Amino acid sequence: MKSWRSLSAAGALALCIFGSDPAFAVGSPAGTVINNTAEVTYSVGTVNATATSNMVSVTVAEILDVVVTAQTPSVAVDAGETQREVLYRVTNTGNGTETFLLTMTSVIAGDQFDPVPATPAIYFDTDGSGDLSPGDTPYVAGSNDPVLGDDEFVNVLVVNDIPAGVTDTQIGRTRLTAASRTGTGTPGTLFGGDGDGGVDALAGTTGADGEATSEYLVTDVTLSINQTQAVLNQFGGATPIPGARVTYTFVIDVTGAGSAANAAFTNDIPANTTYVAGSLQYNGATLTDAADTDAGEFAAAVPARVRVALGTLTTASGPQTVTFAVTIN
Amino acid sequence: MFMGKKFIAAAALIACGFGSQAFAEDGCIVLKSAAEVEKEVVDASGNKTMKLVAVDKAVPGVEVVWTVTANNKCKKPSEKVAINLPVPEHMTYVPDSAVGPGSDVSFSVDGKTFAANGQLTVQENGAARPARHDEFRHVRWTFKDSLQPGATAMARFRAVLN
Repeated sequence: MKSWRSLSAAGALALCIFGSDPAFAVGSPAGTVINNTAEVTYSVGTVNATATSNMVSVTVAEILDVVVTAQTPSVAVDAGETQREVLYRVTNTGNGTETFLLTMTSVIAGDQFDPVPATPAIYFDTDGSGDLSPGDTPYVAGSNDPVLGDDEFVNVLVVNDIPAGVTDTQIGRTRLTAASRTGTGTPGTLFGGDGDGGVDALAGTTGADGEATSEYLVTDVTLSINQTQAVLNQFGGATPIPGARVTYTFVIDVTGAGSAANAAFTNDIPANTTYVAGSLQYNGATLTDAADTDAGEFAAAVPARVRVALGTLTTASGPQTVTFAVTIN
Repeated sequence: MFMGKKFIAAAALIACGFGSQAFAEDGCIVLKSAAEVEKEVVDASGNKTMKLVAVDKAVPGVEVVWTVTANNKCKKPSEKVAINLPVPEHMTYVPDSAVGPGSDVSFSVDGKTFAANGQLTVQENGAARPARHDEFRHVRWTFKDSLQPGATAMARFRAVLN
């Protein structure tokens, strides 16, 4: 059975590789020419006259800014695993089109082990799956540096192997850095004439580079799930006919050392069935369908699903049982 | 009747006269505009002063100082002098930054209706509300006194590059 934690991680991230995020917008596009002319009206005696001034032109220079965010800040891993990826987003928060150099490092102070960069260590999340998959293109510095327009972003994967011999709860950090190819430096550093269309470029408040760090958390705990069902129709038999009630039982088993934090069970109501209100149970106790202070809820919004928060599970928690019932339409 | 014709003739002459005079008076005011930014200048003794320098390329976020001067080069005073300068596209007016010694300053959103700061309104959802400074698109300085021969009037506002 696939490890529970990696199931939920991959499922949550179905992202496009390239996108635009106007929330970061810096301002007028680099190269924009702003013209302005003054006018005066006056009179001499009874004669009205006007005059206009010279035209003044101001050209918008380019600001170089980039932000890197960790989309998977913490990833649970086992000792000795290979090809474990973390996801970052690199966003051009400046006002012009920029090419960025990407670099990674896994030698970072403050953690308990150094993840070992895979070869290649940086990929674009080309297929937008949020994880490392065959459709993803490896990054080669100087060959396919990402070119981003203002507010554009690209999703990037950094891949490491986990050393053998690391133990439960140890953390290893890995970092992605993006730097503007036009130049980086203290905010305000001028790169005269190097901006889009030959305008001046200036390092913005980010200094034209950015980085984000993620961590691999060694956790030996594994969750597995076993599903059974029982059918009871209107005639007391087990034939699944319209109107029959199907009760699903899910048993979640915990193995290995360590703890699985914020474990959650989610299951879509199967097609062609209708959830039986009030049938959701967790370890024998009935949970309310409403989203309230108890651990479970039934959400009718398509797709209809039940959800139970399992809390932090360890082997000491023992098997967890969730049941709910539906009727066949 | 005869008088009338003379009157008309005289009036036509006067009109022509005014016409030619209008061409001459058109050139009484020389108008100059400048876009500048403030730069800190440190002299040899280490004294710091702020100086206005012409801006050619500006980065978003920079505050641009727009200055207009009107110089009367005729021998007669110019009256009812009013300087108009737009707040250009991609820039936002800095509140309370409009100055012009001897003038009343007014603002407009549409270029047609001008009113003093705080009195300009815009229509929103069928009701009138005060215009915000970031909605001002035109600034006007209306000078109270005539501009004497040889004198220069000054008008200025600041705007931030978006």
